Amino acid sequence: MVLSIDRLTKTFGSKIAVDHLNTEMQPGVYGLLGANGAGKTTLMRMICGILEPTSGEVLLDGQNIFEMGADYRDLLGYLPQAFGYYPNYSATDYLYYIAALKGIPKISAKAKIKKLLKIVGLLDVSNKKIRTYSGGMKQRLGIAQALLNDPAILILDEPTAGLDPKERVRFRNLLSSLAEDRIVLLSTHIVSDVESIADWVFVMKQGRIIAQGCIRDLVEDVQGHVFEMAVKPSDVGRWETATTVANLRREDNRTILRIISEDMPSDKAVPVPATLEDLYLYHFPTERSE
Amino acid sequence: MELFLAEHKKLWSRKNVRVSVFICFVYMVVFAGILQFQWFTFGSRNDFTSVFGNNFDGYDVIRERQGYSEKYGHLLTDDTLAEMVSDYQYANEYGTVSDTRKMDWSVISTWLETLYPEQKKPSLYKYASQLMLDYVDTEKLTDIYGRRQEAIETFMEASGITGEKRRYLLSLNDKVKIPFSYVWTEGWRTVLGDSLPEYGLMIAIVLMISLAPLFSGEWRDRTGEMILTMKHGWEKDAVAKFFVGFVFTLEIFLLIAIPSIIVQITYMGISGWDEPIQCIKMIAIAPMNMMQAEIYEYIHALSGALGFAGIMMLISASSKNELLSLVGGFAFLFGPLMISEYLPYTIQLLISLLPIAGSASDIFRMDTLNIFGKIVWMPYAELLTPIIIMVVCIPATVKRWIKMKNG
Repeated sequence: MVLSIDRLTKTFGSKIAVDHLNTEMQPGVYGLLGANGAGKTTLMRMICGILEPTSGEVLLDGQNIFEMGADYRDLLGYLPQAFGYYPNYSATDYLYYIAALKGIPKISAKAKIKKLLKIVGLLDVSNKKIRTYSGGMKQRLGIAQALLNDPAILILDEPTAGLDPKERVRFRNLLSSLAEDRIVLLSTHIVSDVESIADWVFVMKQGRIIAQGCIRDLVEDVQGHVFEMAVKPSDVGRWETATTVANLRREDNRTILRIISEDMPSDKAVPVPATLEDLYLYHFPTERSE
Repeated sequence: MELFLAEHKKLWSRKNVRVSVFICFVYMVVFAGILQFQWFTFGSRNDFTSVFGNNFDGYDVIRERQGYSEKYGHLLTDDTLAEMVSDYQYANEYGTVSDTRKMDWSVISTWLETLYPEQKKPSLYKYASQLMLDYVDTEKLTDIYGRRQEAIETFMEASGITGEKRRYLLSLNDKVKIPFSYVWTEGWRTVLGDSLPEYGLMIAIVLMISLAPLFSGEWRDRTGEMILTMKHGWEKDAVAKFFVGFVFTLEIFLLIAIPSIIVQITYMGISGWDEPIQCIKMIAIAPMNMMQAEIYEYIHALSGALGFAGIMMLISASSKNELLSLVGGFAFLFGPLMISEYLPYTIQLLISLLPIAGSASDIFRMDTLNIFGKIVWMPYAELLTPIIIMVVCIPATVKRWIKMKNG
């Protein structure tokens, strides 16, 4: 199974949201990193077939997804950034409704729903109305609905938003176990999520993929641009203004700054090994990931 | 089927749907049904001072009036009309108000005004509070059916109904059986003239509230985008939603109609079912009896409701905003009714073909349409057009729903 994106472009008036994007995805977990407005959601919506491209196409094994229609959607699981639900429904009722929309017969849906509710940890509260759920519980329900049809292509837009650290770990483990034989594309601001589960990362900026590869290779690109140096606490502000400071920590009466920079910022700076977060900040110096 | 059932369950799970259906039920069945018969309209054996001061005795009053009308032998002839008028005048002179109220005084008055206009006294102050029934000369109440024919032709002439149209309407009138069967008519007049014509509008208001969010509500709930990524999220879901709207309309209709019919039969029985509708309006030309007219009016309400439901779902599928859908439905429902009277007559007729815009009581009128050279009696067209509109709305709604993903 190959999901190809061929010269995919989307414009809204004069604004180019996605700009002649080309890539290919085979089964595995793909992370989509980018600042707000980078075009991640627009790209995902086009891959899901809910937004028609201005030009270019999305192909699954060489077939245009819009021509495949329901056959393509049958392979798809999608969790949008703003997950929608019916407040008066219980999780069980909601998943039965989604099962009907996904064409899953009620008999087989019953077992699947129970299994998924258990996986996402909502089995005990499955008969409670969704409006009583916390943000994290709702997000877990969203993940369950996306998985209900056992999708071959799973698109998750900010799936870990609203999850607490424990839930995030559980979610990462769940995704890792699901990744076999399916394409999982997740966009997130949370670099650590991508770092722990993605096999391949796309970095999007202004509608284009400016970097892509496995994490190790991508991080390699920014080696030599990450430094640590000790400064007086009173100088921290000046360095923050002048450079991209990824991190700072106090040690005795000094502050250790982690600086992302094209060149060595000071003679006192020492090059240190880069991480994916450094890569993110290297490309999006005004953003600060979690 | 599962998708249909899931959408159906979702529609009924909305609180505003259940509340609006409940209010409609209470209004139509309890207020416009039970309380109307028992209290507001017929509960008045001894008290005629005000509507709300009336007694709570409608059931007995109706039975008494029906029983009283039996004495006229179930037929409306010159003799029975004269007898009714004479009985009324006697009761008015020597009896009590209750004695006069036993009779179909209001209905008989309209007959006299239609058939014997020459006997009407000028509207001077001293006669202002008098009915023709009070003073008309019973000796002169002759040739009732000849008079009726004359009144129809006079009305046609005054309304400019000529040629083919006139011949068509007169041919309908020729099928009206004379002499008329007659028993107490006031109950039927209330049902066919006042209550039933309101049904369509009341159901439409419930449909407007319930169906406005059917499609557009998915965007409020932020589920629209998700649904459109699912296997059956495009055509199948849109069709399922449409048929849910269709079935919901039927459910509301039956929920109101069945209890209303039970209430009606409980209070009025089936007495008078074979009376012609001409007993309600003398110059009506439709060859229908009361039961046929009632069936027509129920079908008219259902047809209008179905057509309106179709329009409402198209509006809902065309907007991502539930409130906008509601305003659109409101504009469609009340807009034509508000502007119609300021428009030329032909346009008024065309407007009345729109769902809910026409009235079920049009069976008492002589309006016709000329469709491709063929004269069609307006009530027939009013039944059919909303159904056609609903059918046309199906593909349009499905298309709009799918298009909304790009909106």
